Amino acid sequence: MDKPAEPMRVTVDADKCIGSGMCEMLEEETFLIDEDTNISQVIGEAVLPAERAAIVIDRCPASAISIVDKD
Amino acid sequence: MNVTDAHLYLNGIPHERFSALRAEPGIAWHPYGDPDDDKAGFWAVTRHADIKQVSKNPDVYSSALGHTNLWDLEADALEARRSLIDTDAPDHTRLRRLISNVFTPKNIRRWADLTRSVTGDVLDEFEKQGGGDWVDLVAAPLPIRVILAILGVPVEDADYLVELSNYLVEGTGDEQSLPADAFGNTTELRLLPFNSPASHAMFEYGARLAESRRNDPRDDMVTMLVQAEADGEKLSASEFRNLFHLLIFAGNETTRTALSHGALAFAAHPAELQRLGDDPALLDTATDEVLRWATPILHMRRTATTDTELADTSIAEGDKVVMWYASANRDDEVFDDPFRFDIGRGGGNQFSFGGGGPHFCLGAFLARLEISSLFGEMVNRGMGLQQHGDVVRSPSNFVHGVLSLGMEPVL
Repeated sequence: MDKPAEPMRVTVDADKCIGSGMCEMLEEETFLIDEDTNISQVIGEAVLPAERAAIVIDRCPASAISIVDKD
Repeated sequence: MNVTDAHLYLNGIPHERFSALRAEPGIAWHPYGDPDDDKAGFWAVTRHADIKQVSKNPDVYSSALGHTNLWDLEADALEARRSLIDTDAPDHTRLRRLISNVFTPKNIRRWADLTRSVTGDVLDEFEKQGGGDWVDLVAAPLPIRVILAILGVPVEDADYLVELSNYLVEGTGDEQSLPADAFGNTTELRLLPFNSPASHAMFEYGARLAESRRNDPRDDMVTMLVQAEADGEKLSASEFRNLFHLLIFAGNETTRTALSHGALAFAAHPAELQRLGDDPALLDTATDEVLRWATPILHMRRTATTDTELADTSIAEGDKVVMWYASANRDDEVFDDPFRFDIGRGGGNQFSFGGGGPHFCLGAFLARLEISSLFGEMVNRGMGLQQHGDVVRSPSNFVHGVLSLGMEPVL
């Protein structure tokens, strides 16, 4: 069995976000569409298992979600 | 290998042609328009991965230049008709954000009860009549009643708007039956969506409804749209009318198409309907499979903003690039045994809401709600379908329309 991949911290680019709500649907504990701006923001730790992070990054229509580089 | 002749589509999507195009290396050049002009044509993008690359790179592949249909529009016509569909960032981002909140999965859920109730009504009528034309009885009334109720259009006006919408669908094909001055239209047809005088009538209706909601707000989508505000901006009158028009057309035609092709698929594969009845948890992936099977919008076009390369093919600035979603949805690189209807397939990578990117279908979650509501309610009732007679399709290379489809309930 593969070793579980490392969790990833994700972030939203507010300039690109179109507020589709895809991220909120896929990961409701990590993303929330702000009611005033209609822009997605991360909530809490914003950490997802790598595989789920990859899915939400791929499905975001605006390509607005990315991994925060660790340094 | 022609894939634009509208009459081809009377027999269904020419899948064998698309399969052949997908198998060719690179991207095929497809002549279109003036046969004496070598440059008249477009790049026919047919593979799933290539479409995704075009769709997700709006900086390179513009929606605002030329047109999103195969033919170019003159600049003034493009401007007059401009909606969410034919804009790029930052205009598109601004416009979309103004209204996106209305269509998020979370906010679409508030219409679930309404959708269930409309679904129950149309299926009751279908059963009572012992079947008939599935399009007339179920596939057309369900989405149009839902979108009209959500928008806040009074029930007594529904038939009028359905009629207008049907004329618009006609405008996507080769022939139009309306005279240019129908509905009191005085606008040049080339300035109207689908070149149809019915668009003028829909604009007028939308403007009246917006005015009435501005003065007398209600709990409906037109009120939400006239009040919508982001960064202190509101929709302009022209943005509102184009959006209202888009919502009615898209809310009517595309979901109708999905519900018709879904019915055809379940009638042809009753074991899949049985499977859904045995395991209702499959409803979500079944909805995806109905969407993949249907591909209600067959293609959208982009225009290259710069010289670029796609699948080792050089594309020049200004070239038309056409994404054939109908082909992507049968690409065996992505879908195992793609011509098999399999409600458990999953994966969420069908392209019936587009190939990803900022133009991802605004109404996607509403469409999903309607499709899952219909087929979910059918299995609740233990209702199967039997096709009788032929299916009559739209002569269009743009919409995968079904004009009539005889169905009987099997109980």
